[in-house]
Amino acid sequence: MTIPSKPKNAVRKRITVLAIAATAAAGSLTFVASASASSNPGFVLYSSQGYDQASVNAFNASAPGFKVTLNDNSTGPLLQQIQAEGSNPTWGVLWVDGASAFAQLDNEGKLLKHSVPKVKFNPQGLANVPKDGSFTPTGITVTGALCYDSSQITAAQLPSTWAQLSDAQYKGLVGMNDPSQSGPTYPMIAGLMDYLGKYKSGSTTAAVTAGEAFYEALHANGLVVNSTNGPTIAAMEAHTISMATIQSSACYGAELTNFPSMRVKYLNPSIELPSVIGIDGKQPAIVRKDAQKFVDWVLSPAGQAVMQTADAEGDSLFWPVLKGENPSNHLIPKLASTHAISTNPYTWGPLETNINTWFDSSIAGGV
Amino acid sequence: MAIAAVESASLTTSPKDPRRRGSLGGVLLWVVLTLLIIAPVLSFLILGVSPRVFQQGSQWFTLKYVRESFSSYSGQGIFNSLWVASIVSVLAVTLATTLAWLIHRTNVGGRRVWAVAMWLLLMMPTWMMTLGWSDLLQPFGGAQALGVNTHWFYGEFFGPLGIVIVLTSAALPFAYFIVSAGLQGLGPEFEDAARIHGAGPLRSFQTVLPIIAPALLSALAISFAETMSDFGVAFTLGYHAHFPMATFMLFSAISNFPANFSVAAVIALVLIISTVPPILLQSRVMRKRSYAVLSGRTRAPRRREFRRGPRVAATAGVVFVLFIALGVPILGAVIGSLVKNLGIESATGVHFTLTYYSQVFHPSVTGKSLGAPLLLSNQLGLVVATGTGVLAVVLARRLIANPGSWSQRVTDVFLLGSVAVPGVVLGVGYIFFYNIGFVTHHVVDIYKTLPLLMLALVANAVPGQTRFMAGPVSQIQPSLGEAARVHGAGRMRAWRTTNLPLMSRVLLWGWLLTFTKTISELAISQILYPPSQEPASVSIQSYLANYDPGTGTAMTVMTLFEMLAVIGIALAIYRLVTPEGWRRIGWSGVQS
Amino acid sequence: MERGSVVNKSARRATSVSIRGLTKRFGVKSALDDVSIDIAPGTFLVLLGPSGSGKTTLLRCLAGIERPSGGTIAIDGEQVAGPKTFVPPERRGLAMVFQDYALWPHLSVRKNVAYPLATSSLAKGDRKSRCDDLLERVGISHLSERFPNELSGGEQQRVALARALAAEVGLILFDEPLSNLDADRREQLRIEIATLTREVGATAVYITHDQSEAFALADQIGVLNQGRLIQLDAPETIYRHPTNAFVARFTGVAGEFPVRVLGEKEPNRVEVALPFASGYAIGASTTEKLGPEANVRLFVRAVGVSLVAPSHGSGVCGVVRDVAFNGHGYDHVVDVGDGFSLTKIYAASRFERAQNVKVCFDPSSCFVMDSSREA
Repeated sequence: MTIPSKPKNAVRKRITVLAIAATAAAGSLTFVASASASSNPGFVLYSSQGYDQASVNAFNASAPGFKVTLNDNSTGPLLQQIQAEGSNPTWGVLWVDGASAFAQLDNEGKLLKHSVPKVKFNPQGLANVPKDGSFTPTGITVTGALCYDSSQITAAQLPSTWAQLSDAQYKGLVGMNDPSQSGPTYPMIAGLMDYLGKYKSGSTTAAVTAGEAFYEALHANGLVVNSTNGPTIAAMEAHTISMATIQSSACYGAELTNFPSMRVKYLNPSIELPSVIGIDGKQPAIVRKDAQKFVDWVLSPAGQAVMQTADAEGDSLFWPVLKGENPSNHLIPKLASTHAISTNPYTWGPLETNINTWFDSSIAGGV
Repeated sequence: MAIAAVESASLTTSPKDPRRRGSLGGVLLWVVLTLLIIAPVLSFLILGVSPRVFQQGSQWFTLKYVRESFSSYSGQGIFNSLWVASIVSVLAVTLATTLAWLIHRTNVGGRRVWAVAMWLLLMMPTWMMTLGWSDLLQPFGGAQALGVNTHWFYGEFFGPLGIVIVLTSAALPFAYFIVSAGLQGLGPEFEDAARIHGAGPLRSFQTVLPIIAPALLSALAISFAETMSDFGVAFTLGYHAHFPMATFMLFSAISNFPANFSVAAVIALVLIISTVPPILLQSRVMRKRSYAVLSGRTRAPRRREFRRGPRVAATAGVVFVLFIALGVPILGAVIGSLVKNLGIESATGVHFTLTYYSQVFHPSVTGKSLGAPLLLSNQLGLVVATGTGVLAVVLARRLIANPGSWSQRVTDVFLLGSVAVPGVVLGVGYIFFYNIGFVTHHVVDIYKTLPLLMLALVANAVPGQTRFMAGPVSQIQPSLGEAARVHGAGRMRAWRTTNLPLMSRVLLWGWLLTFTKTISELAISQILYPPSQEPASVSIQSYLANYDPGTGTAMTVMTLFEMLAVIGIALAIYRLVTPEGWRRIGWSGVQS
Repeated sequence: MERGSVVNKSARRATSVSIRGLTKRFGVKSALDDVSIDIAPGTFLVLLGPSGSGKTTLLRCLAGIERPSGGTIAIDGEQVAGPKTFVPPERRGLAMVFQDYALWPHLSVRKNVAYPLATSSLAKGDRKSRCDDLLERVGISHLSERFPNELSGGEQQRVALARALAAEVGLILFDEPLSNLDADRREQLRIEIATLTREVGATAVYITHDQSEAFALADQIGVLNQGRLIQLDAPETIYRHPTNAFVARFTGVAGEFPVRVLGEKEPNRVEVALPFASGYAIGASTTEKLGPEANVRLFVRAVGVSLVAPSHGSGVCGVVRDVAFNGHGYDHVVDVGDGFSLTKIYAASRFERAQNVKVCFDPSSCFVMDSSREA
């Protein structure tokens, strides 16, 4: 009796065909690829910097004769990719905060030496240029800046030294990030160890021990450790903590966007954290040449202008490394007033794994 | 290959024998699985004892990393994961069985809603759950915004208690669907027989429990494997509770530079091996038994009618469990995205705002809108879900054929072990394998491309979806296909007209499941996405981790609703396109 | 691989089947061992045997659902299975009724029945009327728009039967179609199967383990045991002249006893001494040459046993253990001593339990066989 009537069947068929066609079309959009017709393939930039897309766009627009492809990601995944790529690397240039990764790469012989552009560095810039010129600082931020919520605690109530952070009045009010997940944190720890142990040269054991004692005291005083800036700042918003030792640009960024009561105090010392760029020495010559052009451009006035404006509430909040340049935002004080010291990535880089492991098991978590 | 050989045990020797063709299909399948899963995972695992293979160390063979993985801190993580997974799997299966029995065999209220709730629970990633819980419970969080003080519970939640709650919620839907399928194939005569011989409702249920033992054990095994390999909870709750878990230890090992892939490989191997005991237990009990049998003869079982009082109590119980598992996280996330400066005690009280939502597509951070990433994620979801669906059907048929046979056991172990492989291991393994010079020059050069990411996502989804489909697919009686063949249908037509309709709902929901899982997948997406093609989950993560938790939460909620919209559209299309007869078959193949 | 030509399905023409040396092994186990059968067109062949005898395997090989390990199968002279040939099921031009009905749950009754017609050359209107006819014939027109799980077992099997008849094929296979039905339905459906199949003139191969079903339906019976064909004959021949002890047992014995052969009376007749009645000798048929010391057993058909009152002159003494009314008389179980008993002994009048009786044996329904030769 009820043989499906013809119209209904036809409608059904039409809808099926339409659905399949739409699915196929939507799926195929993912395969739209742009072919590069030129003979110079360019290189891939691995970067975690907030201004990297703008920089790459500006550089490519200047028609250098090749194309820079940007692989933007957080520092962690970038370094994992580089390490997993092993002796068949895809990366041509690496641009991240912190020099210890570069020291490690240099020790493995993977960086192109003498690739520092011929520009006039200011003193803090010079202090971060390595002897073999295998990587170049492009800007300075400060890690271990004491970021505080001025609605919870006034400037007068803040500690004036690092040691005072362990005082009873600050119990449970201090936060920081986890060095194994937050890039700027290990350099801060390393810098403090360097400072507390009065490290000059030779064995780092005493310095490490001094630093461990410092953090253990903090831990006993209720130090709150979160993985990265986001949760740490959220904890300040939630009034779980009233201050945290994090990266300066993160503080200024929060103040400029959602957290107007955020302020920064610089204890003595704070630690310099340069943004660093380096070239893969294992790439073919033509790629290394292209990469050098890019690095030169980054430290040129054009490149610096992009760096300082493209991520105005984030990474652009840095101190320049070139003579005669000023920071982009009025909030940023003179670098000298931050008591920032630099640390040797070749000394402290190799210790990162062990120190981070100690931190995770004794300070952040574990038994 | 061994498996093909076993299947062709009774072959004639004719070279053009179609059964030979069948075993050729088996070989092809394992080649595909090798390229997809086995080779990349092995590339990673081998580093546990042989770091030099991929230039991760100087030794061709060493046990030093094995020792390191079991040393104090990392060993604690492994131990914690094992006992948490054991507790969670037992809890999840118990709850799931109770819920399944209530929902399918009694007249508890709101039955349609519970099925949908379970699907939502299945699709929600654990990191979203934790986010919701913390947004709700934190001081000046969502609960406070609603006038409920939860400070006392907040501290407790960030500990083993919260971990068990969230992980049980995550494992619950897996267990529920498997147990449901088992229950629906259980005819009413068994319970009736027990009742007639004097057993009360509880005891009669206990009597039939051994009959659905295969389903229960399968649910236990998969809950265990999913919990062991969970990353979201270990990374968030576990971390804050100072409760190390194996997946987090694995992640820590590779978070430093240089990454310790070797220790991570050993931990990954432990995760995989830990799934073997549940499988052995399951196969011992099942032996040659299969799941229940579906045919035209299967009738829907009778429902037990509760009287008013017990009915209200049962309904309330179901509501409570589902609220804890699903409602709380959703509530927390939604409120978190609506409350300005979540957690700030302001003079004028709590503000509800849509600011964060306006930032989702026009964010303060340049170039980080959700628009393009969300579109890309949807496209990925489409392709990955379809590819996974096809492969999962092929594998599911293989899994249920010849129960108890050698090839079936191997496939079963392989699939469950793959479920236990954390996404990050698969992702890094893909880099190792597909960046090998030999592979890029002579096999396929797809490193750092979208197809590679798609393959990895398919590899991630196939094992889970295959096991998910195996139950319902196994309920289809072979004689239905035989009848079609005998009455004039060729192989394809027989499959298309008799098997496919019975699987249509399962295929649909499997597709939707993988679609949503792909959109919310983070670990693989983060390590493999090609330049300038960032998926939504990675964008959301950078907001949550670095820039702006409020906007990040809003993005999360938007993505969730977008996924629901796609589900709605897919269901509508299904309803419009499929003949009525197809829809008579419930998701597990029984008319429900 | 050679594909056999498509067997002509458009005209209903009874098919002949020729099975030669069919063998099927599953691993080391032999499910079928060198079975050869020739089926004339229009024959209703029943394969009878216990589970594990290979009858299902044989049927499945015939259908093309199973591949034989050796031997050949030819349908209407065309080889469909052999060392270099395998014609898939859909090209063999047959139909099948399954034990579990195998109706597709997502298709209505009408669509189930119409399924085999999808590949036929009939016009749409003709297909519809063919369906209507068949549904009418098996008595389920009123259920045509229902779905299988709304039907009873008997109704479902009728649908399966209609489906098998739809394509007008010359060979229909039946896989124990009645075993899942209730007793009263079973009888009805058996009659329908028997009449409909002969009405359409198709060849039928029917498997069952129920010997009364086999005898009721068959033109020819093939008895299988452990993969071998033991006897292939008309039902009467099998009943009256079973080849060996197995066939005798499987086709219904009232009792069997070890006996001593006393001597040969006539050709194919011997005298045997019963173990439970010293001094009493009965005549029995035999097809074998049996010496006096051979290890033999006596198989007694129920039809050859009669009960009389104890006062009767000849007969073995016995005691009635059980009596059951069967509608037109009584079936008795009689203990004859030494732990031996006879079952299903018919008598028009009733003997009560514990009553003494005398049991008489008709030699033509008693068989003596060397029980060491069972294969």
